[in-house]
Formats: sequence, C-alpha cells, structure tokens
Amino acid sequence: MNTTVILFLVLYYMVMVGVGVWAMRRGASDDLEGYLLGGRNVGPMVTALTLQSTSMSGYMFLGAGSLAYTQGYWAFWYAAGDIGGGVLNLSVIGRRMRKLSRMMGSLTAIEYLENRYPSPATRLIAASLSVFLLSAYVLAQFIAGGKGMALITGLPYSVALLIALAVIIVYTFLGGYLAVAYTDFFQSLIMIVGVAWVLGAALIHVGGLSAANAAIAEIDPTLLSVWGKDLGYHGQWGIVVGAVLVFSIGLMGWPHVVTRHMAMKQPTTARRAGAYATAWNLLFVSSPYLVGVLAIIILPNLEDPEMAIFQVAYTLLPAAVTGIVMAAIMAAIMSTADSLLLQTGSIASRDLYERFINPKASDREMVMVSRGLVFAIGVAGYVIALVQPPAVFDVVIFATSILSSAFAPAFVCAVWWKKANTPGAIASMVTGASTSFVWEVGNLADATTLAPVTVGLLASTLIIIVVSLATQSISPVPGHIVAVLEETAKVGPIPKHLLSASDFALSPEAEQIESILGQRREER
Amino acid sequence: MFGLPVGTTLLIFGFPVFWILYTIGFLVVSKHWKDEGDQS
Repeated sequence: MNTTVILFLVLYYMVMVGVGVWAMRRGASDDLEGYLLGGRNVGPMVTALTLQSTSMSGYMFLGAGSLAYTQGYWAFWYAAGDIGGGVLNLSVIGRRMRKLSRMMGSLTAIEYLENRYPSPATRLIAASLSVFLLSAYVLAQFIAGGKGMALITGLPYSVALLIALAVIIVYTFLGGYLAVAYTDFFQSLIMIVGVAWVLGAALIHVGGLSAANAAIAEIDPTLLSVWGKDLGYHGQWGIVVGAVLVFSIGLMGWPHVVTRHMAMKQPTTARRAGAYATAWNLLFVSSPYLVGVLAIIILPNLEDPEMAIFQVAYTLLPAAVTGIVMAAIMAAIMSTADSLLLQTGSIASRDLYERFINPKASDREMVMVSRGLVFAIGVAGYVIALVQPPAVFDVVIFATSILSSAFAPAFVCAVWWKKANTPGAIASMVTGASTSFVWEVGNLADATTLAPVTVGLLASTLIIIVVSLATQSISPVPGHIVAVLEETAKVGPIPKHLLSASDFALSPEAEQIESILGQRREER
Repeated sequence: MFGLPVGTTLLIFGFPVFWILYTIGFLVVSKHWKDEGDQS
C-alpha cells in the first residue's frame, strides 16, 4: 500500500465533492430542468469536456492500453475515429437537437425520442435497451475501478472492488446534471495531465519513439503495422471500418452523450464546443494507446494487459506523481460511471416506472426506484465483476456497438429528415440492436470479417429509410412535429408561439414532475 | 517516420489532420449560427 498515492487520491475525492456541491448550489436544482439539464445553461467549454470525458471512460486507461499492448499500432484505428467523435456529434446534431428538444419540452434523451417519434412503444423500447446496455457499460467501469483500487491500496481485488463501487455509487447520489457536468470538466483536465505525465516518462524511459519502434520491431515487426499482431486483421476492412465508426458516428447513438446537446446554453454553443472537443481529443486520445504500445518494451511480461498503463505509471513515476496519474484514471472511470448511473436511474424511474407502471408515482417513489436500480446494478455488477470479470475492452465494445447501432440513425434522422416517422424509428432501433447483438453473441465478426457496429449501423440506417418511406401514408409525421422541424432547420431565435405552444405540452410526465417540484418550492 | 511503416504513419497522423480540417470547415460553415440569438 502506497500512502502517498492514497493521500493524493483522497485529496482528489475531496476536491471532486467540493466541485459537486458548488455546482449543485450554483444550479437551480429544485427545478426539473435545472436538475436534469443544468437549466440548459452549460457553456461551450464545459459542454465539450463533459461530452468527451463521459464518452472516454475507464476504457481509455484499461481497454485502450490493453489493445495496444496486445495488438500494437492496430489499436490506433479506434483512436482515428475517436478524435473526431466530439466535433462530428456536435456539428451534425448538436445545434438542431438543442433547439428541437427545447421546442418539444424534452428533458431526457429517451423522452426526446418519444416526442419526436410519438408512441409509447418508442419510449418502452428505447428505455429498455438503454437500461440494459448502460448497465453493461457501467459494469466495465466497476471492473476498471476495482482493478485500479486494488493496485493503489494493495488490498485484495474483492475488497478493492467493493470500495470502488461504493465510492462511485455514493458520488452519483451527490447531485444532478450540473454537478456531473462540472466534475466532468475538472476530471477531463486531470485526465490530460495524468496521461501526459505517463507518456512523457515512458518516452524518456525507452529513449524516444524511434528507438521504441526499433525495439518493438525486434520483438515482433507486425506490431508496427496497421493490421495487428501477426497481421491478424490484414485486409479485414469491415472490422477496420467498425473500429473507426464505433467512437465517431456511433457516438451519436449514446443517450448519455447526446443529452449533453440538450443542456447547452444556446444551440450555437455547439460551434465552439466542437472546436474545444477536437483540441482536447488531439491532446488526449492517442496517448493511452501509445503508452500501451510502449509498455510492450517497458513491461514485456505483463500478466494482465489491462494493467499496462497502471503498471507503467507505477514503474516509472515517483509516488506523488503516481497519485495524480491514479487520480486521473479514477477520474476517467468515475466521470463515465456517474453519468451512466444518473442516466440509467432516471430512465428506469421516469421513462419506465412512471410512464408505464405507476403514472401517479410520487417524487419519493421515483427517487426510490432510481436509487433502487442503481443499488441493484451495483450488487449485480459486484457479483459479475468478482465471479467472472469480463475484459473491460470487450464489455465497452459490446455495449457501445449495440447503442450506436440502435440509436444513431434515429437521433440523426430526428433532426435532419422530416419523413422519419414512428414505425421507421422503432423498426430501426429494434433491427440495429438485434443485428449488432446477434453479431456480438454469435461471434460472427470472425466468420464474416464485419464488425458488429458496421453491420448494425448499416441495417438500422437502411431500415429507418425503407420503413419510413413505406409507411408515410398510414403513419405520417404529425403536423406539429413537422412545424418544429422546419423551425429547427432555420438558424434564428425560436418564435414565441412555438415556444409557448410546445413547452411541456408534449411532455405530460415532465409537467407532472414540475408541479410536484413547484409544490415543494411553495412548502419552503 | 519514427521507424514506422508508411501505412501506420498515415493512420497516426493522417486522421488527426483530417479531423482538424473538418473542425475548421465546420467553424467556417457555421459562422452564421451566431444569428440564433438568446431566445432559444
């Protein structure tokens, strides 16, 4: 157990709690919009960095390092898409989604989908898929947190996992979106500093990049190629395209990421946020992969490749600096885990429980459902992570591939195509999710050399186009939605009649919660 | 470059350059977005 490292980590947690409390006080947290979307008052820098740090996760420090350690420079295909994921997302759907969600009175990504594609089935399918996939995604964060904590504290994995899990869950209960957004912002800065420190130390240790590559060539020259160890992926463009897509176009299908658009101060915030996102990605994204490659020389006999970046930090850096790096790693894990848990809890309580099981649920009941689910995810996550922990990389790719396939076409068409209708969106979500799922579980990627996300995205895109066109006569897009879509396409302020006519009118459950919160304000 | 094959060099440096150009293009194309105003 390294006392200095633990001291830095405890200090880091205290600062995070302070930032969270400050953000909660700054935001209007007794207002529904304030709690869920930070009062739609989040500026470009915070938007960019919360979007990036939420989408990066513990994957960047465990999965990325592991992939690069085992497959060499092939891993950079994932970085290639990831660098542009933020700006692509913000430029394609950012401004329009912010404006449309405001006009439709949508407060969550799933509610937004139901408002745009009106049907209870839209919400039921989207919410169920999200709860399942976000739970799987958060499992990866638990495993990553447990492994990191075990290394830092020297405690057995079972105990370290329990501590990491408890910290993540308690931290999630701290506050709403604004607290998450501002802690994400702070954590994203820590991540940059941490990874830069490890990369710098690793490069100095190996004598520079050219010397490192020469040494890797002596071990196995195929690790320097873009086709992986032993050229295992040679010519497999379906897999390569999937690696590029999953963190670029695919990002537009992640509910916990696109929610960031809805919370922006103004639709135009997307513009500057796009530039900041690219700048941050250029500084950060490639570094964990490069450290993973350098670990091939620094730690040639590593038992668990997922520990590559942790071990490089531990081996090369002084204790105080390792503390900062470990804080950065835990920051990556926690910034994703809290967003995922917040989203999963709110989807379960608002989009499933209140919408379909108990429409008259009290505020207290909804909080209980939300926290109950978070607790259940914690217990299930602990058991799975303890009994048979899957690789962080596998879980993240599994969950994100299906999320991307299910939702990306529905979110993109929602703002760009007036003819995208309810049957088209529902068929697209079901087809994308099931195709990608079958491809993953059936291990069809090896047989077909097509990545699950490649096939899933193609299928869901084709289906939304074909089904929407085929069902225009029986299920046309309602007139009030066409009207707000036409307004969304224009660049300019929202006319007052559209704001007042649509604000909350399409969202009865949001109105109900708003009235509960209003009563509470009156009681005070 | 850096002892890497050409394909790998293109992968590591080519994609970032592409995304920088994409971002610049986005900023140019979206210049008029400032007309959106505060109301929305």
